[in-house]
Amino acid sequence: MIDTALIIEIILIVFKVVVVAMILFSLPLPLTWIERKVAGHIQARLGPYRVGPHGVLQPFADMIKLLFKEDIVPEKADKLLFKIAPIVAMVPIFAVFVVIPVGDKFMIPGIDREITLYISDMNVGVLYVLAIAGLSIYGIIFGGWASNSKYALLGGLRSSAQMISYEISLSFSAVGVVMIANSMSLVDIVKSQGVGFWNWNFLYLPVGPVWFFVFLIAAIAEINRIPFDLPEDEGTLSSGFHTEYSGMRFAFFMLAEYVAMVSVSVLCVVLFFGGWNSPVPLPVPIPGIFWFVAKVAVFIYFFMWVRFTLPRYRYDQLMTIGWKILIPVCLVNILVTGYMKIVLL
Amino acid sequence: MGKNTVSRRIADFISKGVFADFIKGLQVTFGYNLTMHITIKYPDQEKWIPYSRFRGLHTLNKDEQGRELCVACELCSKACPTGCITVIPMEDDTGRGIADRVARVWKVDLVRCLFCGYCEDACPTRAIRLGREYELACTDLSCTKKERPELLKPQSIPEAITGGVVAKARFIKGEEGIRVEADLGKTRKMRW
Repeated sequence: MIDTALIIEIILIVFKVVVVAMILFSLPLPLTWIERKVAGHIQARLGPYRVGPHGVLQPFADMIKLLFKEDIVPEKADKLLFKIAPIVAMVPIFAVFVVIPVGDKFMIPGIDREITLYISDMNVGVLYVLAIAGLSIYGIIFGGWASNSKYALLGGLRSSAQMISYEISLSFSAVGVVMIANSMSLVDIVKSQGVGFWNWNFLYLPVGPVWFFVFLIAAIAEINRIPFDLPEDEGTLSSGFHTEYSGMRFAFFMLAEYVAMVSVSVLCVVLFFGGWNSPVPLPVPIPGIFWFVAKVAVFIYFFMWVRFTLPRYRYDQLMTIGWKILIPVCLVNILVTGYMKIVLL
Repeated sequence: MGKNTVSRRIADFISKGVFADFIKGLQVTFGYNLTMHITIKYPDQEKWIPYSRFRGLHTLNKDEQGRELCVACELCSKACPTGCITVIPMEDDTGRGIADRVARVWKVDLVRCLFCGYCEDACPTRAIRLGREYELACTDLSCTKKERPELLKPQSIPEAITGGVVAKARFIKGEEGIRVEADLGKTRKMRW
């Protein structure tokens, strides 16, 4: 009756989900520290330095502070929405990682069992990622609406407008990758790229670089980072949709923001930089997960680097870039990619 | 002219397409990321030693024989724009000062003082100098009024040291409060 293989399969999946969730929950701790260090050194400062050696314990100090802060709910806020908004912002971004392949499958020697380094290999992986990541915008809109504050509301509205504009070009660039790889499964997309950086979608000339930059720009806009962080523009909106949040609910928003940054870096790596494949063929086998983590780390550094380099775009400029530049570029690029797939290959 | 504008516009378009300005900006910030910081690790490890022209806490000086230079002429208190210096003279022929007239009370109210240095200029005997002590904060008002005996103590940074350097320092937390003790032997120049 009870199928042992099925039970083992379920246990494995639960185990993998727990591991991924634990990693994602703990990632913002080092990332906040790294971000502040990068910020400091770019501005010829040191960054956090006093809590622990080189300030490594600063995130823990911040976490303790946030845990003990009073959780203020404004009196005229929509209480239910206000309380669930941070969760709504956070959960979809975690759910994206269900389909992310961090490495190829491998056999465990001894018990002769195949382990896959991804939770699920959906045949519509790209669609799933775009759909689920798009849901997290509800958290921001709910947060902005429920706070009953003009700053928060404006932040939420800007966020939704930005989302609508940039989701299109983000999806289009994913479509480009799907056309190149002939598959919607993220695992197949990685496998189609193979070892060697010249095989990666990033260098699928001439359309690869264009897709990549469109994806990068749209992704930065999606995760609300500088230069597109209009929803939390502190100059005009004090701090946008999370103006009224404090304590742990604010921490959830921050967590969501950092995990979103990680997820976008991961997507860049999976879609354009060959996932777990090594950049050059090596005689010594290096585990694919090493290459994966290294590439993701480079992208995370890149996002921080950009954050402390560029000023913020004006709102109309943001819309111009989204509608008048990225979408036409996407449309032309789809034609070129299709031509290349049909005629040249 | 027209062709020139067109070619410039084309060049502009291309440079935008390859993110030329963007890359230039990233280069600048990456350069800063690699260069050294300019932070002084005060108070944990380092302390700024000011130049000798620095105007910090007042000091009353003595001559080589250890006699007070102050003759209690009250010119400093007259010159003071905020009226923060109180001098009460008295007669003394025991050789405490260089003249028979010395200060019974020489008091400065640091809350009112604006460290302009007019008292230095007014002093005929160069008795009063604004020193290089700048850690003047305290948790009550007790330290805001400095009196003669305290000001007569030798300065923590000798006149001979030019300053303008960062010295290694120790952060000391004791019964009487906190202080940062600089080690004048180990100094480094600032990198700005």
